[in-house]
Amino acid sequence: MCGIAGIVRDAPSGVALASLERMAGALRHRGPDGYGFYVSPRAGLAHVRLSIIDIACGAQPMTTEGGALVITYNGEIYNYIELRAELEALGHRFRTRSDTEVLLHAWMAWGSAMFERLNGQFAFGLLDRRDGSLLLARDRFGVRPLFYAEHDGTLVFGSEAKALFASGEVPAAPDLLGLDEVFSFWAARAPRTVFAGVRQLEPGCWARWADGRLAVHRFSAFDYAEADVEPADALETLDGILRSSVALRMRADVPVGGYLSGGLDSSVTCALAAAASPFALRTFSVTFDDPRLDESAHQRLVAGQLRSVHAIQPIGQDEIGAVFPEVVRHAETPLVRTAPAPMYLLAKLTRGGDIKVVLTGEGSDELFLGYDLYKETLVRRFCLRRPGSAWRPRLFDRLYPYLAHERGGEMWRQFFLTAGEGDDPLFSHMPRILLTSRIKDFYSADVRAGLAGADVVQELREDLPPGFGRWSDLGRAAYLELHTLLAGYLLSSQGDRMAMAHGVEGRYPFLDPRLFAFLSRLPTRSLLRGLREKDLLRRWAKSVVPPGVLDRPKQPYRAPDVAAFFGRATPAYVDERLGEDAVRRAGLFDPAATAGLVRRCRSGKATGFRENQALVGLLSAQLWHQQFFAEAAVPPPLPAARADVVLRAADDPALEPATDGVKA
Amino acid sequence: MTEAEVRSRMRAYITDNFLYMRRDLKLGDDDSLLRKGVIDSLGVMEVLGFVEETFGLHVDQNDITEENFGTLNAITRYVAARTTSATA
Repeated sequence: MCGIAGIVRDAPSGVALASLERMAGALRHRGPDGYGFYVSPRAGLAHVRLSIIDIACGAQPMTTEGGALVITYNGEIYNYIELRAELEALGHRFRTRSDTEVLLHAWMAWGSAMFERLNGQFAFGLLDRRDGSLLLARDRFGVRPLFYAEHDGTLVFGSEAKALFASGEVPAAPDLLGLDEVFSFWAARAPRTVFAGVRQLEPGCWARWADGRLAVHRFSAFDYAEADVEPADALETLDGILRSSVALRMRADVPVGGYLSGGLDSSVTCALAAAASPFALRTFSVTFDDPRLDESAHQRLVAGQLRSVHAIQPIGQDEIGAVFPEVVRHAETPLVRTAPAPMYLLAKLTRGGDIKVVLTGEGSDELFLGYDLYKETLVRRFCLRRPGSAWRPRLFDRLYPYLAHERGGEMWRQFFLTAGEGDDPLFSHMPRILLTSRIKDFYSADVRAGLAGADVVQELREDLPPGFGRWSDLGRAAYLELHTLLAGYLLSSQGDRMAMAHGVEGRYPFLDPRLFAFLSRLPTRSLLRGLREKDLLRRWAKSVVPPGVLDRPKQPYRAPDVAAFFGRATPAYVDERLGEDAVRRAGLFDPAATAGLVRRCRSGKATGFRENQALVGLLSAQLWHQQFFAEAAVPPPLPAARADVVLRAADDPALEPATDGVKA
Repeated sequence: MTEAEVRSRMRAYITDNFLYMRRDLKLGDDDSLLRKGVIDSLGVMEVLGFVEETFGLHVDQNDITEENFGTLNAITRYVAARTTSATA
């Protein structure tokens, strides 16, 4: 896993190597093992490397023989060995064992038809020197990030927005609509970002930039063509896909470890990984002092059964507050939860244990309908069918026993029934959207004025895919979850950014395209049977994970929010960032309202979801504003003189090939 | 305590704790606290805690309905009736 960046122009007006050195410097955490550059008057590419496959020969940027194509690539093509065999049969010759080179040849052989063959997580920029065009691409689920900005016949791209700003060619400014999306959906919705003028390539898309224009194409779309009946061989099919998916994701020239939460999903991935590994698996967990959040008993149970070498990262009162500014800097966006912070610390622990590749259970809840939100959707629909029923809403108490406790009552249940109309295409998500949107109550007058007339929720309604209306409530909910939350928040703020902050690559066996294709065509009751989530996975996993894990109710992964900042001690930056001066200078929030929130937090009264998420939203946005606009700092550049590879090409790419593998 | 006093204390409590970030919101005595987004599911618990502590009541779970706690007037009526019957 790596970091990529580049600058491409529509005329040979020059790309400064110094710009590429700064961009690489901004991404150094993603690739601590090496770096390289390609530079010509028309284009420059940068690459920072985390060596995982073909450690000796996989340096980038990499060219084809003769230098027609040059690539800077972040990711893994898990089925690269099979693709390479196909390409060799077609007459292609390879110089390395890397998946990078397979990608170059696949593009030459199949063009855009190659994407449907790729099973992996990737983002790359591929320069075609014959016509000066640039290809950008991003994997189906958006595991790997890819940002870009266009200006005056130039395209600047990178794995993270900070690389774009480091180029010196892209100014940093907030995008209010992007901010409004964070405070609606938890993340900006691609292609929008929280930075004005900066876009992100949508998951499942590729784009060609030529003659100063970018044309975006989709190579993969989500569809939910649910069958009426579960196939008789569903368990065998699932078994085959999951085992193959994990085996593919164990391909690496370095040891592969596993994150172990103690829930069903990571227990499955770790169990399959342990079975496929010739050595004791290394597993890593976070534990919480707060017993309501802690899952360590189940983690120990699974680690014991797998005989894994287990390491834990304890999270007490102070750990989250201590690293939160760094978490925001890496996430590059305001957040509504502190949950990324423990993942940041977990990645640090993992890297400290000399593991740089981990399997995780991410994606299972989306594909197997594991989240409470899916059950909540069913119960809300069930209640709406008989509005006068007194007992139907009592199902909410069963759904959220830890919230309802003994004081639930009718009024508590009413909350779910008043959120979202039955015929709203966003029916499933309106409770969450309405709850999250309460953060907007804190907006400053300027932000309100700047957003006047904008409605990002309505924008989403108008941007739903053509098949959406034909899908069931659960199909729609599953799509919305993938579209609004998975790539934008879970795989980035909680995934890629936290892991890559420490040079750790996450791999996600549940996000195998074959698994999505299989599960999205099953009847939804195979996945969510009554209120039993992930039914098919549970049936299959009986022989794989301990009964205590198999039968336990799902525990949402959460971390302390207000308590992380107003517990035993309050970090100095909290008072500073939420103080009247800083709030007024940033201009995002109303200073008096912010002061009211701080007062409530300090007095221990801010116990509800609303104020917890508001505190995290405001504090993270204030930190984000400080780090990217008010006091932005450019990290030290990576000097070309010490690069593993510097490829230089003369003026017109059509006239002179790049020199392959020339050391600077 | 008169109904007017109960209403006044409840309004001050709601304003101070749930409307400090929405100072421009006009909350009528009969406006729905849920539908106006003033309190959410956990906010209900907080209101209950305040009512019990301030007015010395124990609120039975069966009483936690919109009819009793859905508006400022509803809470006022509920508290007044319970405190009157308790002191009668």
